[in-house]
Amino acid sequence: MATTVQFPFAALVGQEDLKLALLLAVVDPSIGGVLVTGHRGTAKSTAVRALADLLPPMDAVDGCPYHCDPTAPAGACPHCGGSARSRPGGGTSSRRKSPTRPVVRRPVPVVDLPLGATEDRVVGSIDLERALVEGVQAFAPGLLAAAHRGFLYIDEVNLLEDHLVDVLLDVAASGVNVVEREGLSIRHPARFVLVGSGNPEEGDLRPQLLDRFGLHARIRTLHDIGQRIEIVRRRLAFEDDPQGFAKRHARAQSALRATLASAIARRPTVTLTDEALALAASLCDKLAIDGHRGELALSRAAVALAAYEQAPSATRDHVAKVAPLALAHRLRKDPLEPAADDERVKRILAEALG
Amino acid sequence: MNLHRLPLPGLVALDTPRLALMMLAVDPALRGVAFAGAAGSGKSALLQGLGALLPDLPFEMLPLGSDDEALLGGLDLEATLQRGTRVVRPGLLARAHEGVLAAEDCNLLPEATANLLMATLDSGELHVEREGLSLRSPCRLRLVATFDPAEGPPRAHLLDRIGLVVPLPAVGQAAARAEIVRRHLAPARDLWEEDLQLLRDLAATARAALPAIRLTPAQSKELAAAADAFGVQGHRADLFAHRAARASAALALRDRIEREDLELAVRLVLAPRATRQPAPTPADAEAPAAPPTGPEPQDTTAPDPDDATRSDAPPTEGELTLDDEVLAAIATELPDLMATLPFRAVRGGRSGSRGSTDGTRGRHVRSDPGLPREGRLDVIATLRAAARWQRIRPRGAGRVAIRAEDLRIKRFRDKAGALFVFAVDASGSMALNRMRQAKGAVHALLERAYVNRDRVALLSFRGQGADLLLPPTGSVELLRRAVDQIPTGGGTPLAAALLAALEVASQARRRGLRNVVLVLLTDARANIGIHADRAGVEDELQALALQAGASGLRSVVIDTQRNFLSQGAAKNLAAWLGGEYLYLPGASAAAIAAAAQSAA
Repeated sequence: MATTVQFPFAALVGQEDLKLALLLAVVDPSIGGVLVTGHRGTAKSTAVRALADLLPPMDAVDGCPYHCDPTAPAGACPHCGGSARSRPGGGTSSRRKSPTRPVVRRPVPVVDLPLGATEDRVVGSIDLERALVEGVQAFAPGLLAAAHRGFLYIDEVNLLEDHLVDVLLDVAASGVNVVEREGLSIRHPARFVLVGSGNPEEGDLRPQLLDRFGLHARIRTLHDIGQRIEIVRRRLAFEDDPQGFAKRHARAQSALRATLASAIARRPTVTLTDEALALAASLCDKLAIDGHRGELALSRAAVALAAYEQAPSATRDHVAKVAPLALAHRLRKDPLEPAADDERVKRILAEALG
Repeated sequence: MNLHRLPLPGLVALDTPRLALMMLAVDPALRGVAFAGAAGSGKSALLQGLGALLPDLPFEMLPLGSDDEALLGGLDLEATLQRGTRVVRPGLLARAHEGVLAAEDCNLLPEATANLLMATLDSGELHVEREGLSLRSPCRLRLVATFDPAEGPPRAHLLDRIGLVVPLPAVGQAAARAEIVRRHLAPARDLWEEDLQLLRDLAATARAALPAIRLTPAQSKELAAAADAFGVQGHRADLFAHRAARASAALALRDRIEREDLELAVRLVLAPRATRQPAPTPADAEAPAAPPTGPEPQDTTAPDPDDATRSDAPPTEGELTLDDEVLAAIATELPDLMATLPFRAVRGGRSGSRGSTDGTRGRHVRSDPGLPREGRLDVIATLRAAARWQRIRPRGAGRVAIRAEDLRIKRFRDKAGALFVFAVDASGSMALNRMRQAKGAVHALLERAYVNRDRVALLSFRGQGADLLLPPTGSVELLRRAVDQIPTGGGTPLAAALLAALEVASQARRRGLRNVVLVLLTDARANIGIHADRAGVEDELQALALQAGASGLRSVVIDTQRNFLSQGAAKNLAAWLGGEYLYLPGASAAAIAAAAQSAA
């Protein structure tokens, strides 16, 4: 992604739901990822790809292919002091055992999982070249390793091959990627924010995968003529001169970056008020949402929003604002219900707020 | 002599398609052009045309059977084994970088291929993560695609990624026909070559002039308003329309954009993507669809129930500065267009088949030990298996030592599933009830569809013919919107319904969905024929039903007749179809879904 200049996030026109959902997922990665669905050509993937440029850099163990957190206990991955005896036959040849690990500052990974990717590149497999040339049996980490502590983006997520969805569900639930193939036996951490985009008219998402996403932004074609013109104007300007365009939006970008960084720092101190929690619970109850992922995602998103808006605590207003994002995709599908899911959430919300 | 031998300048009555190719030659950011036309309408000649206009750029044909590896590239087996190090063989997409990719019959491309094409067109980048390779490289290409609408529309998402969509005129006029023959018989090649050079020079001049040509704010607004008026989804089209207008002006050697440039942009970019009529044009909007005679059952211009819900902000009146007249004129071309283009009726609902039912095609899911004669050898997996033993095996001069036990065979998963075609009788008084049952049953099937990739299509019939409300899909989302407010009442054209169902089934078969089940909800009191008069209705129906049964279509006839004594008609129909008969006048959705599934 370094080779091409991305369209700046701050220059995106409209689609506030989408932008909000992505920013909240940055503020609190534990919200559980973002699904973006909507019409073709509505800046779904442009927005996701633009996100990379906003993320504050992170500290990582130098040389670790999984860019482990230096403050986390060692031994999480084969590189960072994972001991050889527990993993016969596995691991990389350059294992580091010293207790003080060198730290490097690096960008948060935003990894693309392209269509047509094969399983061996997703989970990782034997390093063929080294095996053939040097005769060593080394592990070549895959995309899941590359995405650890960052974002894994899947465009057209609803078109993803079933066997890859299975792998993703597995790893997303456990945060650990276990590879047992070709004589390799490797475990490494793989915790990432899953971001998916797609058009539901092309085929629905597997329900299990849908449920994994913390937030779901639905976007539509803009009908405001002024906005439409602005979109074309900016896009043409960007295509003509990407660098110059990025430069013109540099200030807005760095302001957004600063806001995000402060929201991330502030988030652990933001509390959820009792009224807000009560509203979240009653919404989930009224909408008959199964399980408790809904309340959790909703509460976390509300707190993240409060942090983003620099408020001391998350209130009913914060919950109300993120409720459609956190809940609409968890409703039971009802073919005879003419209203779209997010409309139903808004209706119940209006009732709850009186 | 083949039609495609005739060079671009020699084509008769194809001025607009030729212009579209020229525009694409001028501005690569238009990304591509798709030509829709019947066999023999000059598609192949046009397909080659862009290559002729851009002789110095790479030109690659995309064969229909291309798999992921052919498109994305892979390991060069021979070189890899020889050198003992990984050697990459570039795929079609990489070879077409900066050049032209030509795809014939783009509506028949496998879903996976179309997806890859879409992703590449969109990002201008080739991103490969497969079989031990991880590559990113720029990949900007121009796609020239053709399709025959009679074989089903291409995926809306693929068309959405390219700028221009051009329906080809049917070869109609006698004069044009005569001229085509004349030119084929005496192809004055030197003359064409000179003309071709002229076209190339014109394109080069226009390309140089392009950056200086700008739309005025008022012109931008006109295009945006037109896009909104046509209900175009997304904003790619707005951008393409802009570029099309500029390219059109550049080709006319003007530095200012005129009305005709805007009109051309609307015609080639926006109108084909229309999901609604821009303005209520008095006579044309109501033009009654001809009764479905002959090859028209895929005419899916169903009423669009979604318009009301989707247009949250209807276009403000009076903002259409591009003459209402002009838009209306272009709109009158729409009814024809809509039937052949996926944007309106199909709404992108076509999901095609996921893989094929064929054992060695489908999706490659894993590789197991085996012998090459049992299937296709997975080279990478084989090398991987051999890799770990290289140190201890005796090696020849730099070569990899592979033994039989290392060989890995690709296993494919067949997940094509079944297609359930629901044909619902919307005539008579119980129509609404039947429709509700059908919708519930379809929903119940779709809920389980994830397991075996089943698809569902829904068509209703009443009055003079049948309407495809929901083309084959696995999407609950589409179902919800497809079936509100359908008109009911009128006569019972059962034969038309059968014909429509057969067409859906045969389109599905072409895409690898072989297991098709027809579920008919009707009282079977047919009283409207296709060609037959009132007295011949039953004979016609019988003939069609026998033919459907013989074609391998499985069926379930669900009799909704309340009057128990007159249920003979539906029973007869089931017998002709060689299908199952169920008397379920008040059946629950679940019961219907179960009956359908047991037939699959």
